[in-house]
Amino acid sequence: MAVCIAVIAKENYPLYIRSVPVQNELKFHYTVHTSLDVVEEKISAVGKAMADQRELYLGLLYPTEDYKVYSFLQMFRKLHNSFTDVMCNPFYNPGDTIQSKAFDSMVSAMMVQAS
Amino acid sequence: MSIPDYMQCAEDHQTVLVVVQPVGIVPEDEFFRIYKRIASVAQVSIRDSQRNLYIRYRHHYLPENNEWGDFQTHRKVVGLISVTTCGSAKEWPQTSDRFHSQKDVFGATLYDSRLLVFGLQGEIAEQQRTDVAFYSSYDVCPDVEKRVEDFVESIFIVLESKRLDRATDKSGDKIPLLCVPFEKKDFVGLDTDSRHYKKRCQGRMRKHVGDLCLQAGMLQDALVHYHMAVELLRSVNDFLWLGAALEGLCSASVIFHYPGGTAGKAAGRKPSLAQGQGQAADAGKRHRPGALTANGISADTSSEIGRAKNCLRPEDIIEKYKEAISYYGKYKNAGVIELEACVKAVRVLAIQKRAMEASEFLQNAVYINLGQLSEEEKIQRYSILSELYDLIGFHRKSAFFKRVAAMQCVAPTIPEPGWRACYKLLLETLPGYSLCLDPKDFSKGTHRGWAAVQVRLLHELVYASRRMGNPGLSVRHLSFLLQTMLDLLSDQEKKEVTQSLENYTSKCPGGMEVITLPDGLKLPPVPLSKLPIVRSVKLLDLPVSLRPHKQKGLLENNMSTKSPFIYSPIIMHTRGEERNKKIEFRWVQGDVCEVQLMVYNPMPFELRVEHMGLLTSGVEFESLPAGLSLPAESGLYPVTLVGVPRTAGNINVNGYHTSVFGVTSDCLLEGLPSVRTSGCMVEVIPSLPRLQLSTSLPRSAHPLQHSKEELSSSVSVQLFNGETQQLTITLENIGSEDLETLEVTSKTCNTKEKLFGEFLSWDLEEAVSQLPLKPGQSVTLTVNIKVRLDFSGGENLLQDLNDDGISVTGLPSSSPLRQVLKPRAETKPLGSESSKTDYNHVKTLEAVMTFKYSGGAGKVEGYYRDLTLGVHVDVEPSVFFTRVSTLPATRTRQCHLLLDVFNSTEHELTVSANNNQDLVLHASECQRMAIQVAKFDFDTLPQPDQEAVRYTNPKLLEEERLHTQASMINSTLGITWNIPSVRRQGEASVEGVLNQLVLEHLQLAPLQWDVVVNGKPCDCDIIADCKVGDAVPLEVKLTNRSKNAVGPFALTVVPFQDYQNGVKNYDLQDAVTFIGSNTFNIDTVNPTEDSVCMGALLFLYTGDFYLNIKFQDDNAGQGNEVPPSWFGLPSIHIKALEAPIEAGA
Repeated sequence: MAVCIAVIAKENYPLYIRSVPVQNELKFHYTVHTSLDVVEEKISAVGKAMADQRELYLGLLYPTEDYKVYSFLQMFRKLHNSFTDVMCNPFYNPGDTIQSKAFDSMVSAMMVQAS
Repeated sequence: MSIPDYMQCAEDHQTVLVVVQPVGIVPEDEFFRIYKRIASVAQVSIRDSQRNLYIRYRHHYLPENNEWGDFQTHRKVVGLISVTTCGSAKEWPQTSDRFHSQKDVFGATLYDSRLLVFGLQGEIAEQQRTDVAFYSSYDVCPDVEKRVEDFVESIFIVLESKRLDRATDKSGDKIPLLCVPFEKKDFVGLDTDSRHYKKRCQGRMRKHVGDLCLQAGMLQDALVHYHMAVELLRSVNDFLWLGAALEGLCSASVIFHYPGGTAGKAAGRKPSLAQGQGQAADAGKRHRPGALTANGISADTSSEIGRAKNCLRPEDIIEKYKEAISYYGKYKNAGVIELEACVKAVRVLAIQKRAMEASEFLQNAVYINLGQLSEEEKIQRYSILSELYDLIGFHRKSAFFKRVAAMQCVAPTIPEPGWRACYKLLLETLPGYSLCLDPKDFSKGTHRGWAAVQVRLLHELVYASRRMGNPGLSVRHLSFLLQTMLDLLSDQEKKEVTQSLENYTSKCPGGMEVITLPDGLKLPPVPLSKLPIVRSVKLLDLPVSLRPHKQKGLLENNMSTKSPFIYSPIIMHTRGEERNKKIEFRWVQGDVCEVQLMVYNPMPFELRVEHMGLLTSGVEFESLPAGLSLPAESGLYPVTLVGVPRTAGNINVNGYHTSVFGVTSDCLLEGLPSVRTSGCMVEVIPSLPRLQLSTSLPRSAHPLQHSKEELSSSVSVQLFNGETQQLTITLENIGSEDLETLEVTSKTCNTKEKLFGEFLSWDLEEAVSQLPLKPGQSVTLTVNIKVRLDFSGGENLLQDLNDDGISVTGLPSSSPLRQVLKPRAETKPLGSESSKTDYNHVKTLEAVMTFKYSGGAGKVEGYYRDLTLGVHVDVEPSVFFTRVSTLPATRTRQCHLLLDVFNSTEHELTVSANNNQDLVLHASECQRMAIQVAKFDFDTLPQPDQEAVRYTNPKLLEEERLHTQASMINSTLGITWNIPSVRRQGEASVEGVLNQLVLEHLQLAPLQWDVVVNGKPCDCDIIADCKVGDAVPLEVKLTNRSKNAVGPFALTVVPFQDYQNGVKNYDLQDAVTFIGSNTFNIDTVNPTEDSVCMGALLFLYTGDFYLNIKFQDDNAGQGNEVPPSWFGLPSIHIKALEAPIEAGA
């Protein structure tokens, strides 16, 4: 299961980031941050080649020693729905950090239980 | 071969390697100067052929790597240039020996070598040698480049011969097996005659020839040889060499496709840690024969076809690289080769803009294990990875690896941590984390980023700079961290950061100067504009008493130059200009002015701000900094910053200056868009004197009720109506300029009260005579406060008093004053707050005195200052007249004025009037006093001039007239009161109670009648004596003082006797007889004229007789009737006496 889930804004800053092993959070920050290079590259390639049939699942970004980083331009259905809910909140300012409890619990459910 | 050359690129395969090294003692800078000149000869076109030779220079090369020269010939050192200093001929043999020993190091592979000798002169230097060049000094060596070119040509000749040699010996001779160092032991005892072995030899040789061809500039041949080598080696599964052949193929194809080179910005590339100036100077200059021309098609199409066949397509190049790398990967000892191949492939991919695939190569490169790496090698490796990631546009990855490299520099295992290098590398990671050390960029937009990562990086920068021994840098970075990341820090972090900031600033206070790093990077200053956060800046006007005003006349002159229009509905400013908008008010040179800032402290602890001052431009400004201490997470907190403008002109408040945690910051408003301000530009006018006002009366705390303007000070006093109080005002010049002019005016505020007489009066003459007033001096001015108000309250009050048992008649009964007055008469706390509002009878009178003064330079410019003094007087009623009436006096020119005087005080008081006895009144007592007064001739009062009459409201004019008349009456009466118990005294005015009727009674009639009996003027109370039997002449004189002609009149004289019992006897035909007619006719009398008519009477008996002169108007009914009061003819009392018996008796 997932150990870290991050929602990244269009301008490549985190809207939401959460990881299970809390003690090494910064490491995940670094991992997600660096994998954005790949996301950026993939998106720009997609944009050029097939603008109409956009593939939202970007797949494996890259494997590190311990984890594999996958990316979805939009996420698993459950996560996506939850994300949509957050976006539909009239009090949510697009671009702000996500602070929704519902979204939080959704993400928690998806993550592996800290062992 | 353990140390990879991370700088390698595909086109390096076509270069020949030349090592340039110093021999003996050569100053480093001189060596590198020569080295640079040598290295500039990176490409030599060979005479008599179209080919070019490319040279790669190294000043450092491991002989170990040289052993791989057979595997890839560009790794082989083929040339050696030694640079040496030789001072004298004696040293020469030693130098020569050294050169030779150095040659031996690379001896096996060297094609040729040169020695450049500097400093040697004389015999030895003059001999012509091809392998040695002599120069007298490092500065005089003009033909170094030429020498190197010759050297390169000689290398080419050897290279070409080797190529031809190797390329042609296909048949007959046994082909030697080329091998890499670690293979040697594997082939011991192998069957050298097997087909397999032969093929292997052939394949390897083909590959080798391919390398040579590539180096010799024969790209096509190289491609052919590589293809053959690939086929041969594939068949014998000689993977290492197969890989090399494939890589060679790739290199040749790359060289063909990308004549610009794959090293990217070779010239601009920063020298990495270990390798320096090794790269060819300018890849862009290279021109290869056979390279595509601009339109992509070579002139010779036939050769084009041949090439296209052998050359790999760009897409295939990567496939072949992949294959080659996978073969290399089979050999642990070929790690360096594999790594270098990866690097080369990445460079090619970067050119092809295939970042994803490039990242895969790099990912692979990361996992290549090169055994135990030294720390320095690790750093180098991480930096090059970072650089390559950067090349393919993976800036974040690049930053990540750069940071890893930086951390490696200071790894705990390193005995001497390279904090400097670490810091430098960390700085380079900043763009990857989208951080810029200029705080302006932050404030520009809403910066969002990877706060956690960025904060970490900034902390690392701080730490590294501290360990570098540069606390100034630490302070700068920490300030930046605080300024930009404040919102993202937790309370605990805020505390820690500020604590360490304070620690650092104790060693090196932070300032506003730009810190320039040795490599030229500039760290802009970080003003801590969030500590505290300023919300608004408001320039404050001077206090009312110090505000300068412009003289009216001068102001108009200024206005006319500004705009021809008096008013324009178009507002010409936009929001942006608001800051530059000039503020209406003015500041004065030399006077303290204030700016109010609303600040708040975002920190979870108390914030101490020191030296908070203003930053201004335009005029010389002395800022008086303030220190403040803001409580934790304070709300908006007003802070007033003060300063003194020292010159005149327009001052612009640009920002403010703070010192927080030892960091001084200049926060400019233009960089703080969140600060609200209503303009920052103020005119400073030249200095003016300052006056301080003090009075003899106590100051009043509450402002005037009726005045809207702000007052500098005010006094209040309680007075009884009619009382006069002296107020002494002392004006002291507390400024630095001479006081030159002083004007005093006053204005009474509440005009609804009818005020009699002058409220405030003063004499300025004496004060003005003391001008100019030097600083420190003072003048005094005495002002008389005189209150005379009408407390009678109109007719209602009279009614009221009537009820109280005082006899006043004939008035309707309903009065609000009635309720008011009664409790007042009993017991009432005097001066209590409620009395003022509840009871109307304490009246207030307020006036504002304005002291207009000027002097010094400000006066020249037409400015003055105002000092205002509010005078608040609570007027309590003293005595007032509830009723006034007149009684005719015994004389026609006099009358009795009856005044009902009411004492409304709680004290016993005495009322006195001119020529009258004192009247003692108890509290709330009303008594009537009668004053005999001569009637007034109002015509003698000065008439208002005609001009004024024409333009004034007739009603006003009438009031004015009444007023002057009343005041005349008042002054004549001179009624005063005195309260002995409290020693107060004052005047009582009748002005308010005088009505038209009374006035008329008091007025002398315009027709003045004089009756003269027996040559003696008679009036009512005068008894004229006459003798019985004598004719008594009676003369009636009419003087017309009215404006119109009067008359003609007929006057009838009627004598009668009064028996004093109500009976009047008119039947006196026997007693009195007229001599002549008893009727007088008076002709028309013109204004100011008089007319006299005479008659005579004869009294026959003694007795008291009265003469009543009756008036008959002949013009009755004709319109110009004369009011009966004008005929105030006295009745004449004549006493007829017995004639003295002289003759008869």
